Amino acid sequence: MARNKKEKKYREPWNWSKELRLLPGYLIVLIWIGFTAAFLCWILGASLSTAKEIFSGKVFAFESGVHWENYINAWQAQNVAKFFGNSLLYAVTACIGTLLISAPGAYVLSRFEFFANRPLKSCLIIAMSVPAVMIIMPIFALTTRLGIKGRILLILLYILMHVPSTTTYLLNFFATLSKTYEEAAAIDGCPPGKTFWIIMLPLVQPAIITVTIFNFLGVWNEFFMALIFASSAEMTPVGVGLLQIVNAMKYTGDYGGLFAAVVIVFLPTFLLYIFLSEKIIAGVTGGGIKG
Amino acid sequence: MVPPHFHGRGGRKMKKNKGMIVAFSLPLTLALIIMYLYPVARTVLMSFFKIESVTSSMSAWSFYGVGNYAKIFGSPTFQGSMKNMGLIWLVGGIITLFFALLFAVVLTSGVRFKKFFRAAIYLPNVISAVALATMWVQYVYSNDYGMLNKVLEFFGLEGVKWLSSDNKFWAMLFAYMFGAVGYYMLIFISGIERIPADLYEAATIDGANKIQQFFKITLPLLKGIIKTNITFYSVHTTAFFLWTKMFSPVNTEASTIVPVVYLYDTVFGSQGNSGRDAGAGAAVGVVLTAIIILVYFVMNRVLKDDDLEF
Repeated sequence: MARNKKEKKYREPWNWSKELRLLPGYLIVLIWIGFTAAFLCWILGASLSTAKEIFSGKVFAFESGVHWENYINAWQAQNVAKFFGNSLLYAVTACIGTLLISAPGAYVLSRFEFFANRPLKSCLIIAMSVPAVMIIMPIFALTTRLGIKGRILLILLYILMHVPSTTTYLLNFFATLSKTYEEAAAIDGCPPGKTFWIIMLPLVQPAIITVTIFNFLGVWNEFFMALIFASSAEMTPVGVGLLQIVNAMKYTGDYGGLFAAVVIVFLPTFLLYIFLSEKIIAGVTGGGIKG
Repeated sequence: MVPPHFHGRGGRKMKKNKGMIVAFSLPLTLALIIMYLYPVARTVLMSFFKIESVTSSMSAWSFYGVGNYAKIFGSPTFQGSMKNMGLIWLVGGIITLFFALLFAVVLTSGVRFKKFFRAAIYLPNVISAVALATMWVQYVYSNDYGMLNKVLEFFGLEGVKWLSSDNKFWAMLFAYMFGAVGYYMLIFISGIERIPADLYEAATIDGANKIQQFFKITLPLLKGIIKTNITFYSVHTTAFFLWTKMFSPVNTEASTIVPVVYLYDTVFGSQGNSGRDAGAGAAVGVVLTAIIILVYFVMNRVLKDDDLEF
């Protein structure tokens, strides 16, 4: 860590001939990012304007003032509050539920030899490549027959959906831990199950944080399952909710409200990314997690 | 990987662990069976039966042989969806991976603010794709106030109807690629950073310029990573759904349809089409899975033996 900090403080002096040689590279990247930035700024501006201003192309003039009420309208009248609450509920419960299944499973798979060990590991790898279209129909039939509906249905699906990737990710981290932890705990008379919860699990905390960030993003941005299984407005998460708002736009014409809704949906993961981008980027390439 | 003393035969320690192994692996096993094993087996079975509603019980199924497969491959809509998927795979794949590699090379060439650039290019992968697609449809491509037409106007050119049925597919593909580039770029960057720096130093001493170095060092050593990226891109293409749904939200249009959307409409019904067919939907799922297996198989074969170690 200390070395890292030192490296950060050190700044290469400007070497103009070198920077000049890199100029084409800078240009391509800056055009791309400039486009992204212009795009996001305009959406932000539009979310504070009226439909009339948007259509006349005067988004940043704010001639009739800044329309914060767009956000209030979107939040209340367009049901965004409900969608937002649902997505938050799904994301939090799925993160916890997935960990409760995956962490113990990953622990025994990585540290103990038993007859089902190899088959289970192979199943995990295969499960990660199974496309959603192979799953939805039987699950739809099964949950209908069992009468599972409402929010609990999507909570269960989101938990189960993230189990294979989470388990595989944690497996590699448990495998790197020294066995002396368990030996010491066993000598002190700690039962193996307890050893896991109070000693081994805290040791992989960084991996748990990374995988939980990915699971949170995954659930928040999920669309396909939600479109099929969210049968009522009561259980609709933000993605499908936003699609409904867009489709209703023809009738309401509230474009300011539409862009406000877009910003509300987009903001939580965007803010998360601003604070955690290093961890997220390291996780994409480090752990074989789906992006 | 397994600490040796844990597989010790018998002993009190092993017995103590046994209870934990069962208790800890049981939820995981059940999750895999309920969410993956059972649904996949049943979907494969369903594809050989005539089934109208997805919820109808097995007793209402009637054996249909390969009838479902004959039906979908004979359907012009499905053929169109496969053609669109092929275009997304080939054209989209080449352009996406080209830009991903380009940005990866630029960002590892010693530019300043590398971390910021990298984070900004990856950004679209983190935010809700529905929000992203809405921004493209409602803003960038808008006829009245859209960004692209404003730019054209600025240069004195006539605005284009980006979302007319002729242009829609390419507009959609472009928006999709814009978001996807960052992901493949990160994978390329991690590959490039693993190439030892002394290779480049030696090449520089021998007088090779940057372009020669790229083609003689970077590209050959990235073979494995390119393979990974092609595999990922192909698998992601088979799951293409959201962008079509956002670009033609109410009625599915022939210009943007892809197999998963065809499956969705066939199984759950679409506007103006009340005929539902879960068996045919299952067949589409099996075809897509077969494509994924084929991709893994081909990619493992093609670039297996000459994988370079460094």
